[in-house]
Amino acid sequence: MTKRKLYLELENCIGCRSCLAACTQCGGHEQKNRNYVYDVNPLVNRQTMPLMCLHCADPACARSCPAQAIQIHETGAVLSALVEKCIGCQNCTIACPYGIPKFDEEENLMYKCDLCIDRTKDDIPPMCASVCPSNTLQWLTEEEIEMKKQSHDVGNDKWVTSMHYLEGETNVTVNLPGILQGTVKLF
Amino acid sequence: MQKDKFFREIENVNHPNEKLIKTHCSYCGMQCGMNLRVNTLTNKIVGVEPRYEWPVTVGKMCPKGVTAYQQTNHKDRILKPLIRDDSSLNGTKEGFREASWEEALTLVAKNFKELQAHYGKDSLSVFSGVSMTNEKCYLTGKFARVALGTRYIDYNGRFCMSSAAGGFLRTFGVDRGSTLPWTDIHETDCLFIAGSNTAECHPTSMFRVWAVQERGGYLIVADPRETPLARRADIHLDLRPGTDLALANGILHLLIKNGHADEQFVNQHTNGFEETKELVEQFTPAYTSMITGVSIEKIERAAEVYGKAPNAIVMFARGIEQQHKGVDNVSAYCNLALVTGKIGRPKAGVATFTGQGNGQGGREHGQKSDLLPGYRKITDPKAVEHVSKVWGINPEDMPQPGVSAYEMFELMEQKTIRGLYLLCSNPAVSAPNLNFVRNAMKNLDFMVCSDFYLSESAEFADVILPSVTWSEDEGTVTNLEGRIIKINKAQEPIGESKPDWQMQVELANLLGKGKHFDHLKTARDVAEEFRLATKGGNADYYGATWDKIDKQDGVFWPCREKEDKGTPHMFLDNKFYHSDGRAKICALPYRPPAEEPCEEYPLRLTTGRVVYHYLSGNQTRRIPFLKDMCPDPYVEVHPSTAEKYNINHDEVVKLFTRRGKAEYKVKITEAIREDTVFVPYHFGHDESINLLTIAALDPMSRMPEFKACAVEIEKLDTGKVL
Repeated sequence: MTKRKLYLELENCIGCRSCLAACTQCGGHEQKNRNYVYDVNPLVNRQTMPLMCLHCADPACARSCPAQAIQIHETGAVLSALVEKCIGCQNCTIACPYGIPKFDEEENLMYKCDLCIDRTKDDIPPMCASVCPSNTLQWLTEEEIEMKKQSHDVGNDKWVTSMHYLEGETNVTVNLPGILQGTVKLF
Repeated sequence: MQKDKFFREIENVNHPNEKLIKTHCSYCGMQCGMNLRVNTLTNKIVGVEPRYEWPVTVGKMCPKGVTAYQQTNHKDRILKPLIRDDSSLNGTKEGFREASWEEALTLVAKNFKELQAHYGKDSLSVFSGVSMTNEKCYLTGKFARVALGTRYIDYNGRFCMSSAAGGFLRTFGVDRGSTLPWTDIHETDCLFIAGSNTAECHPTSMFRVWAVQERGGYLIVADPRETPLARRADIHLDLRPGTDLALANGILHLLIKNGHADEQFVNQHTNGFEETKELVEQFTPAYTSMITGVSIEKIERAAEVYGKAPNAIVMFARGIEQQHKGVDNVSAYCNLALVTGKIGRPKAGVATFTGQGNGQGGREHGQKSDLLPGYRKITDPKAVEHVSKVWGINPEDMPQPGVSAYEMFELMEQKTIRGLYLLCSNPAVSAPNLNFVRNAMKNLDFMVCSDFYLSESAEFADVILPSVTWSEDEGTVTNLEGRIIKINKAQEPIGESKPDWQMQVELANLLGKGKHFDHLKTARDVAEEFRLATKGGNADYYGATWDKIDKQDGVFWPCREKEDKGTPHMFLDNKFYHSDGRAKICALPYRPPAEEPCEEYPLRLTTGRVVYHYLSGNQTRRIPFLKDMCPDPYVEVHPSTAEKYNINHDEVVKLFTRRGKAEYKVKITEAIREDTVFVPYHFGHDESINLLTIAALDPMSRMPEFKACAVEIEKLDTGKVL
C-alpha cells in the first residue's frame, strides 16, 4: 500500500513542462505524455499551472466506461484503459470534469495518467513529481499534507486552499494560489 | 556531503534488460544528477531515471535534462569525418563528403602546416567552449600552445562567464562562481537575484528559491521582465536594461545611509570603503530611480529588506554580466555583501548562475587567451615555468597572451588569423553582430570544426570532425557551486565519432608534437596530468581525484592535497585572495549602455533564453519535445507599445538595429517594460537575434553587450499572421 500521495501547489509552477517531458519516461507510458500545463493568462503574465489526473475516489471516467476498461488500483490510482477492453468510444474523455483522458486516434484507444503505477505501487514517486524543479508537484505522506493544510489555513474566508475536494473526493490534493498567505515574515 | 531537508532515500526503478549509469546533465551549470538508462542487450542509451541521491538536485530535472539522453543516438549525428572540396559552397550545408579519419586529419595537418609556414605560428586560432569536461578544456589549451604554438586561443565563455570572472577576481582575488554550496540557498533569509531568469535558465534552483519564501524569507528580483521568478518576488525591481550599475550603487547608498554597514567587517577585511561611500552618495533614490526607471519606494524597500536580513545571498547572471560594464556590475553587487558583512559564513554570500555545464571549470584551465591551468596568468613567469615543466616544453616557447573571442573574428577579417579550429561552440549563432562574424568565418583560408551535429558554424568549415556527446566519454566538470563532479560514460561512441582529446592527441602527432601528447591514452590519463598542472594555482584541483569525487558527492575547489576534503564555503576565515587578505569594495562610476535609444531606434532590445533551449540551440532544436514546445523565436512586446506600432499578437514584424535586421512573430505580454523588447537567442540563420546585437565589449572581460542596444520595430506591409 502506498504511503504517499500526489500533492499540487499550483502557485509554484514555472511553466517548464518538465512534468510533460518526464511523463514519457515512465516505462508503461509508451513515450506519450498524459498530463497538461496551461498558461493561465498569457497576454498578461507568466503564471502557468499543471493539470494532472486527480485520481477521483469515484471517477466519472470509469463510471462512464461501457466496457469496464478503466480499473482502479488498490492504491486508489485510476488506471489507463485496458487495451484489450477499450472500445474507443471516448465516453471517458467527455465524462471527466477536468478533461484528463486523451484519445489516440490511430490506435483507437484512450490513454490517461496511471500515476506511474509501476513506481507508485512501491511508493516511488511518479516521474512528474520526481523531476518537478519548482516543487509544484510533490509526493507527500498524509501527515505532511495535513501540515501543509494547517499552515495555509488562515481562516480569513478569503482563500479556500487545500480544500478537501473540487468536484468529488480525490486521491490527489490540489492547493490553489495563496500558499504564502499564512506565512509570517522572518523580519 | 550532508543531506538536507529535500533529500529522501528513494530506490530507483530498474527496467528489465536495462542498467543505470550515474551521471549529470549535459547542459547548464546546475549539472543536475541523472541516471542514464542503458539497454544491456544493445548497449545503447534508451532513457533517463531521476538521481534522487544527488544532494544538489535530488532527482529534479528541467525538460532539457529529461530529454538530454535523446542527443546520443539522434539521426543527425555526424558519424564519419566530412570534407568539403568545393570552397564556393562555404557558408552552406552543401558539398560535404564522408572521409576516413586518416584522410581528414592529414588534410587538417597539411593545411595547418602550410598556413604557419607562410604566415607564421599565430596565423592559426582555436575557438573553444566550456560545455565539455575539464580534461578536454585543459587539453585544448595545451594543444593550442604546444601542438599549434599559437597565441590565439579563446572560448565562448567570453559570451557567458567572463564578466563574473573579472568581477570576482577584482573584488575577492579569486573567481569561484559561488561562495557557498547550493544546499545553503533555501536556508537564507533573503535572496537578492539580479539579471537572472532562474526559473527558465536554472530551473532546478527553484525549489530552494520558493522555500526561502515559505520560511518567511524575502525574494528581491531585478529584471526588466516579470519572469516566472519575478512574478512571485516580494520586490520586483523592473529596471531599464543596462542600468544595473546605478541600481546597485543606489542600494549601496541606502545601506550605508541607513546604518546597515558592518563597520567592523569593513575595517578588518576590506579596502576601498571610503571612496566607494563617497561615490555612491550621488545615487540617491530619486537619482537612481531616474536612471533605472524603478520607483523610489521599491528601491528603498529592497535596501531595507536586504539590510535587515540576518543572512542574505546576492545572486546574479548574464542579465548584469552581458553588458559593456558587466565586470563593474558584478563588483557593484558584491559590494552589497561586503559592506554589510553578509559573506564568509554559511547562508550568506554571493553567487553567479553559471551558464554552461562547465562554465566554471572551463574558464580556469587555459582556454582563455591569457590563462594557464590552475587559473594561472600566462604573463606570470613562475606560472609559465610550472606549466612548461608539466607539458615538457621550454618556457621560452610558451606563446604570449592572445585576444578575446570576439576580437579573434576581427583578426580573421584583417587576415591576421587565417585558420580556425573550432570545437564545442557555435559562434555563427551565439556571437554578437553576426553579419560581421559570419563574414569573418567565411573569409578564412581554412577551417576545421569538431561537433557531433552539423551546426550553423560547421557550415563554414572545410573539414568537420565527428566528436562525441557527453554520454560517450568520461571526465570531470565543475558545476556552478565550484563543486568538481564526475561525468560517466554510458555507451560507446557511435559511428566513427571520438572524443576531442583523442583527436587532439592524433593531430599533435601529425604536427610533429607527439612526444608531448602520446602518453595520453585515456581520459583518466589526461585527468592525472591536468591535476598536476593545476597544483599550486588558485584553482587547485590536485587533491580532487576521481575516487574522492565519487566518495564524497563531488569536491569543491580549492582542494590542494590528497587529504584535503575541499572547500564548500569560501572565506570562512574572512581571508580573501588578494595579497593583503582583504576584499576590495569598488567605487564604480555609472556608465549608460554603449548604445542608448534615440529617435531612429527608440526601443531597447534585450535577449535571453527560454526554458526549452540551451545556448545556440544546436542540440535542443533537434530534440522533438523541446522543438514542439518552442519551435521559433518571437519578440515580446508590451501591449501599449504594440498599440503604438499598430501591431497584433502573432503578427510578423521586422526588428532592426544599426547592425542588422530580422523578422519575428509578436508575443504580446504585460510582463515586460514598455520601452523594452525581448527576443530569445537560440535560433540560427535569418532567425538569429544576434544579427542585431552590438559588439560593445567590456574593457576588462571583453564581454559583448548582448543585454542592451537600441532597436526599432517596423510593421510589415503584408501584416501577415502566421
